[in-house]
Amino acid sequence: MSGAAVIRGAAAEGGVSFGREAWRQVWASWLARACLVVLGVFCLAALAGETAHAWYAWQDVTPPWQMQDLSARYLPPGAEHWLGTDGLGRDVFLRLVQGARIAFQVGVVSSLIAIPIGVLLGCLGGYFGGKVDDVVVWLSTTFASIPGLLFVLAIAMVVGKGLLGVFLAIGLTTWVGICRLIRAEVLQQKERGYVRAARALGFSHGRILFRHILPNVIHVALVSFTLRFPAAIGTEVFLSFLGIGAQGEPSWGVMISSARLRLWQGMWWELAAVTAAIFAVVLAFNLLGDALRDALDPRLRTVQD
Amino acid sequence: MWRYVLKRLLQAIPTVVGVVLITFILFNVVGGSPAATVLGQHADARSLAEYEAARGYDKPLFCGNWTATRALEAVDFETAPPGVRARWGAGQDGWLRLEDGEALHLPLAFLLPAGERWRLTVAGRGAGFPQHGSGSCRTTQWKKNFHTVEKNGEFFHGVEIPEFRAAGGPVEIRRVRLERATRHFLDSQLAHYAGRVLRLDFGTSSSLNQPVARLLKAGIGPSLALTVPILLVELGVSLTLALLCAYRRGAWLDRGLVAVCVALMSVNYLVWIVIGQYVFAYRLGWFPVWGFESWRHLLLPVGIGVATGLGVNVRFYRTILLEEMHKDYVKTAFAKGLGRGRVLFKHVLKNALGPVITNVALALPFLYTGSLLLEGFFGIPGLGYLSLNAIHSADVDVVRAVVLVGALLFTVANILADIALAWVDPRVKLS
Repeated sequence: MSGAAVIRGAAAEGGVSFGREAWRQVWASWLARACLVVLGVFCLAALAGETAHAWYAWQDVTPPWQMQDLSARYLPPGAEHWLGTDGLGRDVFLRLVQGARIAFQVGVVSSLIAIPIGVLLGCLGGYFGGKVDDVVVWLSTTFASIPGLLFVLAIAMVVGKGLLGVFLAIGLTTWVGICRLIRAEVLQQKERGYVRAARALGFSHGRILFRHILPNVIHVALVSFTLRFPAAIGTEVFLSFLGIGAQGEPSWGVMISSARLRLWQGMWWELAAVTAAIFAVVLAFNLLGDALRDALDPRLRTVQD
Repeated sequence: MWRYVLKRLLQAIPTVVGVVLITFILFNVVGGSPAATVLGQHADARSLAEYEAARGYDKPLFCGNWTATRALEAVDFETAPPGVRARWGAGQDGWLRLEDGEALHLPLAFLLPAGERWRLTVAGRGAGFPQHGSGSCRTTQWKKNFHTVEKNGEFFHGVEIPEFRAAGGPVEIRRVRLERATRHFLDSQLAHYAGRVLRLDFGTSSSLNQPVARLLKAGIGPSLALTVPILLVELGVSLTLALLCAYRRGAWLDRGLVAVCVALMSVNYLVWIVIGQYVFAYRLGWFPVWGFESWRHLLLPVGIGVATGLGVNVRFYRTILLEEMHKDYVKTAFAKGLGRGRVLFKHVLKNALGPVITNVALALPFLYTGSLLLEGFFGIPGLGYLSLNAIHSADVDVVRAVVLVGALLFTVANILADIALAWVDPRVKLS
């Protein structure tokens, strides 16, 4: 019997809960702990950025990350400006924090669009089968067959420039993967004893599906959340770089776009700072996603030995 | 075998229909007519109408016998902005008021073309409202159909035909709507679009003024010149590395390579291109920075393309190979004393071919769109470059065509993958 099956058995006998055991397993690895620390810092930066953003908007003054100071252009990293200044004398560190804020927003909001759609359709298709399933499979096949990046660009173009387009574009194109995983999982769960028991007790479909089956498959959504977060960040950077994402705000894509031109003039620190920030966050999410997947779902385990 | 191919082709039809529907919903229903974006904000109603008529945007979306016209925007005097009110002579606020005997003046933006059937609908109340002159307070509708006919080279223009006139008392008008008759009930944008897709007519680019089909044909060559080498080199390199990992699994080489792969995956795609172009083309001068003139111009973009996909692919192939190595036949092979290399290359690789083929087939559509950013950065005039420019200039026809053709190719690639799989692996059931 593999890890999770033992854990599920133990949980059924009133032992340690499945979730807690999985958490213990993740926490046991130093790599996963390091990832959690990195992501904690990222969340704090996003939160701080959000607070500062709201404060300056409320005070109705130009925030310091937009303040141009032409006498302080192209300053390398130093005591006053930790990560130097950009071509308009704006502090790179403060802009980086604002970029974290936008990346965080994009990851969370696009997930809030994609995960409910994917989970709902996957549950319905897997549970009811037949015609309902045909529609779900048809929808997901259709969405999956449209080239991803182009689809994202087309949605962003139709919705218009700005973060709303980014949210919708990422959210509406990435639910397919979650839907497929959940559907496959529900298909397996619905043959299990507890579902038959619930059916024998005469519970309604809605109650069986959402009270009994959903808690047993929701870990799929959790794993896919950690794995799609870095993808969402990458897409946002791409869209903002092309000028159809964040408008007038220092997102990481906007920063790369301006740092790219400065790089040729020897100003390396802005690009280095953004690159390092994206690298750290995406790497942490990737590693944590792998660790979570191993702990929660051994069938998807990446082969290590 | 042929029955299987035919069956897979039939199964693809709903997907194709779905793709057509989704692109229609995205560009026509949500996006609406691009006339204002293409022609600019100051374009007059007549050129907007001509643009829309040429591209079918003057039809109803799904179905209908009547459709709106640019000649007279439908108006609701409860919510109309001051500019519209002034054009109608409607005063500051409230409904439009006609005194007894006064006729409604329609501020048409251009002459109504001859030979069309029209319908004017007026909703309002009052003692003089035609046909409902009972003085009732509720809103009443008055509709009139009419034909535009050519008369001495002139059509109706701001003339009250068909005449709506207050008779026997004042009238208050809330809504006025002028509609054009469609040719038949299903004469819609959807039918127009589906018909064009069936004829493989992708329309005309509004920014380049060329047929989209010609643009696609011109762009496919450079795109393939970039992406075919990327696909082949990447397949070779990542399979080799994955085999190396599988061969020395658990050793420092394997662990090191896996760690490098995860790190490679986490470097942003943009950063690869920006730094690659800066370091290798600008600082070191090993490669040309920009352009599409000789094979030398392709070396750097291909290298960067391979580097960006390497992490994901090596990890994927390694997982496939290692999963295969857990199977019984591998144990048997080892048990009868075969060496590791022999087992790996003769047995495992052959059996792992299925997922490899699927992975390659699903990467095939990527050949077509090319790599948007690589083409943009290095000035390769392929389809990616075309799409980026089209998105910046809101060239709907081009974007839609690229999306549509990409989706069709993906579907075809899927079928090809299944067929190849059935061909390679006799265990796959053809039923």
